[in-house]
Amino acid sequence: MTLVVEKASVTFTNPDKSKDALPVQALADASLTIPRQGFVVALGASGCGKTTLLNAMAGFLRLSQGSVTVDGVPVTGPGPDRGVVFQKDTLYPWLSVLENVAFGLKLAGFDRPKREAKARELLALVGLEGFEKSATYQLSGGMRQRVSLARALATNPEILLMDEPLGALDSLTRETMQELIVDVWASTKKSIFFITHSIEEALFLGTEVVVMSPRPGRIIERYHLDFVHRYVATRDASAVKSDPEFIALREEIRNLIHQTGAESHGRHLLARAS
Amino acid sequence: MVDISLLAQAEGAGPAPWPWRALHASIKKRGVPITLISALGLLLAWALVTKFKLVAPLFLPSPLDVATQFYAVAVDGFSNATLLEHVGTSLFRILTAFAIATAIGVPLGLAMGLNRWVKGIFSPPIQLYWPVPPLAYLPLVIIWFGIGETAKIILLSLAMFAPIVISAQAGVRSVSQARIQAAQSLGATRAQIFRHVVLPNALPEILTGLRLATGSGWGTLVAAELVAATKGLGFMTLSAAQFLVTDVVFVGILTIAALATLFLTALRLLERRLTPWKGQD
Repeated sequence: MTLVVEKASVTFTNPDKSKDALPVQALADASLTIPRQGFVVALGASGCGKTTLLNAMAGFLRLSQGSVTVDGVPVTGPGPDRGVVFQKDTLYPWLSVLENVAFGLKLAGFDRPKREAKARELLALVGLEGFEKSATYQLSGGMRQRVSLARALATNPEILLMDEPLGALDSLTRETMQELIVDVWASTKKSIFFITHSIEEALFLGTEVVVMSPRPGRIIERYHLDFVHRYVATRDASAVKSDPEFIALREEIRNLIHQTGAESHGRHLLARAS
Repeated sequence: MVDISLLAQAEGAGPAPWPWRALHASIKKRGVPITLISALGLLLAWALVTKFKLVAPLFLPSPLDVATQFYAVAVDGFSNATLLEHVGTSLFRILTAFAIATAIGVPLGLAMGLNRWVKGIFSPPIQLYWPVPPLAYLPLVIIWFGIGETAKIILLSLAMFAPIVISAQAGVRSVSQARIQAAQSLGATRAQIFRHVVLPNALPEILTGLRLATGSGWGTLVAAELVAATKGLGFMTLSAAQFLVTDVVFVGILTIAALATLFLTALRLLERRLTPWKGQD
């Protein structure tokens, strides 16, 4: 499956109800392709439209202009062909870990033995054997995101949309989770769209990184990378991350983001003054 | 008094009977509970005040008098019925009203949480009558429904209805957008989202509503049995007050307190069993 976003724009009415409040352009003219087995990462400061873009792909919101299509078919709403992992933990505390993972299969009408067998298999994939019967609120943040990942995989979507899934984790857990996500991506051959505001994370994970900038949210730069392939081949994350090429690119993107952030902030102030 | 002799007996006769052993074990584990000290202190103060006749028995009978009277009311009865009959009548009224208020209140509250039309229609009358004390609309209930059993049950149902509806509605509205989106992206239909996400999500608040309702139900019992009752704990307490039989008034009040506490404890246990995740996520 290939997911294509073409010239997508999203405009929200301004929550500020005063007379001269202009509509907020959350996303302007964004075009993007998530190829089969691609790992596309959207990188940018908060407010740059990353989540808006993901919500449009997931079908949670309608575009003001442009289109989102999966294999040429327009997306009209959320569906099990596009699994979503949220930043905020959205596990259901009234279900056990196993039942959470099996939830999508239950909705689809699979009987208990079938859906639980599949859920067990996925829990093993994310390294959570032995926690089937646990309550979700007894797990640590990293373990909960493992469960979320397993739950999103259960309905066997070809595309995974991940909205800053590691944003709330401590840096050590975060690195372990990055490697886990790469392993899952490599072994299941999913296409992934992944949001982060960590430059290092974006470079390590993405086969393509799109850098976004706020006000209005838009894509300002694209990079095609192979650091993730190097990691899959060598399984040495620290070597990949300390590679001079990696570091140079990290600094380049850091400068880019700071520049455009300052620039658009300046423009914003000018617009206000006039 | 009675307690002390029992304790002495227990110490002399080998292993203590189970309530004492359980208490002993609990004290060993957690220390003497503060609530127990508070209750015993209150009882002691009560006994001392009456012992030294600081207050006339007409206003404050001694604990022993109340205990004796409790036994008398239980065996011989008061106002043509034994304590058990009074309790039974009141329990029937409260439980019937609780069932009615729950059966209508929970579905209506859920519907109000889901649909703004239903909310718009039912919210104003409920918001208006909720803060009014039941005693204030009791005359109206009597004019409309007479002085029989129906009016009493309707009064109690009204007192319990509002907190149940409001909390069921709040429960539905408390569900986070992200939890719904997660279900949608797993392929859930609207009906499945309601059944598997909205409903379990609202359960803790529904149970809290039932607990609030129980409180206001017991609080309304005396008002409900104010007019034309021949049995019931509220009626018994009121008629004892008319004859200035203060110790029976105490028996009535303490029995109501004990039953209400029992109900609330049962509901709290039910909450812990059905919604162990409450306050954890």
